[in-house]
Amino acid sequence: MTTETPAATLTSVDLMTRIKDNLPVVVVSVFSVILFVLVGIEGGPPQLFNVIVTGGMWALLATGLALVFGVMNIPHFAHGESFMVGAYVSYFTFTPMNKFFLSTGSKFLIYSGPILAIIAAGLAGCVLGIIIERIIFAPLRHRTKEGWIMNAFLLTVGLSFILVNGTTLTLGPNFRGIPRYYDVPALEFMGAFIAVDRIVATAIAIVTIGSLWFFLRQTKTGRAIRAVSQDETGAQLVGIDLDFIQTLTFSLATGTAAISGASLLFMFQAYPTVGLTPLYFAWYVVMLVGLGNVAGAIFGGFIVALLQSATQLFIGLSWQSVVPTAVMILVLILAPSGIFGSEVKGIQEQ
Amino acid sequence: MNSTATYQENQTAWEKIVSFINSIGFSPLGLGLLIILAILPNFYPFSQEYIIRWLIMGAFLAAQAVAFDFTAGYINIVNFGFAALLGLGAYTSGIFANTTPFLLYAPGLNPWLTIWIGALMAGLVGFVLGILTLRLRGIFAAVLAWFLGIALMGLVNNLTELTRGPLGMNPVKFIETPNNLPYFYIILTMMVMIYVVLKLVVRSNIGLAFKAIGQNPDAARASGINPTKYLVFNFTLSAFFAGLLGGFYAHFFGSLTPSTLMHTSKTVEVLAIAYIGGRGSLWGGLTIAFPFVFFIEALRSNLTSLPGLHLVIYGVLMVTIMIYYPNGFSGFYFWAVAKVKSFFKKK
Repeated sequence: MTTETPAATLTSVDLMTRIKDNLPVVVVSVFSVILFVLVGIEGGPPQLFNVIVTGGMWALLATGLALVFGVMNIPHFAHGESFMVGAYVSYFTFTPMNKFFLSTGSKFLIYSGPILAIIAAGLAGCVLGIIIERIIFAPLRHRTKEGWIMNAFLLTVGLSFILVNGTTLTLGPNFRGIPRYYDVPALEFMGAFIAVDRIVATAIAIVTIGSLWFFLRQTKTGRAIRAVSQDETGAQLVGIDLDFIQTLTFSLATGTAAISGASLLFMFQAYPTVGLTPLYFAWYVVMLVGLGNVAGAIFGGFIVALLQSATQLFIGLSWQSVVPTAVMILVLILAPSGIFGSEVKGIQEQ
Repeated sequence: MNSTATYQENQTAWEKIVSFINSIGFSPLGLGLLIILAILPNFYPFSQEYIIRWLIMGAFLAAQAVAFDFTAGYINIVNFGFAALLGLGAYTSGIFANTTPFLLYAPGLNPWLTIWIGALMAGLVGFVLGILTLRLRGIFAAVLAWFLGIALMGLVNNLTELTRGPLGMNPVKFIETPNNLPYFYIILTMMVMIYVVLKLVVRSNIGLAFKAIGQNPDAARASGINPTKYLVFNFTLSAFFAGLLGGFYAHFFGSLTPSTLMHTSKTVEVLAIAYIGGRGSLWGGLTIAFPFVFFIEALRSNLTSLPGLHLVIYGVLMVTIMIYYPNGFSGFYFWAVAKVKSFFKKK
């Protein structure tokens, strides 16, 4: 919303006040650039590409999380389980489908198999989201709105517990994974070999985020979603069906998480608690940029991925969860509403 | 004349007893149940070793629920790093009591002493957590505690020289004995102590201040309550007892791994008990923990072909209660008592 100042009138004083106003963003951006350069020097292009792949996925997961929080005020703890469901659905559709496609020998079918599996996972995620919203959140929402954020949070905690253990119960604790989606040699890019799967995963993340963005910005329903996130009562006054919008939002978020779970199946095998690490990182992202900030989540995804990569490179793989957590604790203490200082309706009531 | 006088005297004696029981934080019914619980493992069906083990787990969970509810039910901040604090106490105590020479540090102190060191350590971290969450409310405080828990667990996983990391360490036991009965009395004593201390705290003016802060921090501050003091005090005390219980865990099971002890899902188990028991009552979680552990364990041992079913039931119960009956068991108890009383009054 900042009005563009002509370059000629931009004095150094203006610049200073601007930096002062957005101090957390500036600090984080400067740090990210330094980290990016360091990672680039130490790890070279493969590491940088790794940052982009994981960053895209964290961004995709975090947009769902931010959307659910912004529109429905639900701090979603079971988001990782949507990821898990996506991984499972993709595994169970891809394996038999690929077998069949290989037997037909058609190149087109073999190449479109993974995409179909990922789409199936996304659809299954959407359906799961609708079921969860209708069974769990709608009754609570209709009963009372008092202490909503905390209650919703604990409900999602219980939900995650049910989904994880229900999966263990029905499918067992075994790992189910595939070595790769595309059985083709890795591409060479600036002296680094990059698996095709990673490129496809990044492309899917970009396409999904892009279409979500387009949907929220350009369509009538998307505008209705944004209206609800700004002011529920006002949205109701102009005739927006709140129940429909909230179910849709939840289903979209679950669907995108399932898509990311499906497209990362070659990295994260499907097992009941697979969603935990992605959940942590998605939460780091939303806490970094501020709860409910959808646009910021895209930016934040890459920063968190960068932090993760840097920790891996300079400190060690096993510290991956400790260092980003410590940084996020710092962010929470210094800037509780995130580096963009986002204001979400209803957050102060709790 | 005489008989009425003795009756009067009896009445006052009984009332004196009741008021004494109340002054240490129990109702007569609760104390009676506790005494039954204490002598229970001496009689046949309950004297089998596996049942005593269930009772120990029940008491352990009950004590955790009390310490958890002290924060969640009164100042309304869900301490999502509770299990990590407990694990911190367990590991500290385990390390100080360690005699295994291949670890970095092996002072081999007496476990009866080291559980207090573990409790103090957890209390210290709880103090820091209390200070960190001062500016935050609700979800932010919960997430901060959660992140701290993840960080602590990662730390324990990585300091392999002290903790052997994911391989797990084996602390010495309190007493070298094949039967579980002594341990039952240890955890029962701890449970009663924790309950009485916390109950006396919440019943005093401090408890009132907690509730005020939990409902509306700004209003509490406006009426002259210093939230800083009370928040930090609450967190410290809750974490201290969590650490103490962790010490018990370490020297009872004799085996510690980060993922079975400090994982977020462990916090969720305690949270479920505290919520099913009823928020802000302390005794709700305590009472419900025992039948619950029996129910869950019976389910687990009878349905070995279905691993995880008991945990699914856990989650379903928690979600159902939170949606449809947020008052939990203690709310139900008060409702039932009020119903019975009004029924007798009508007659």
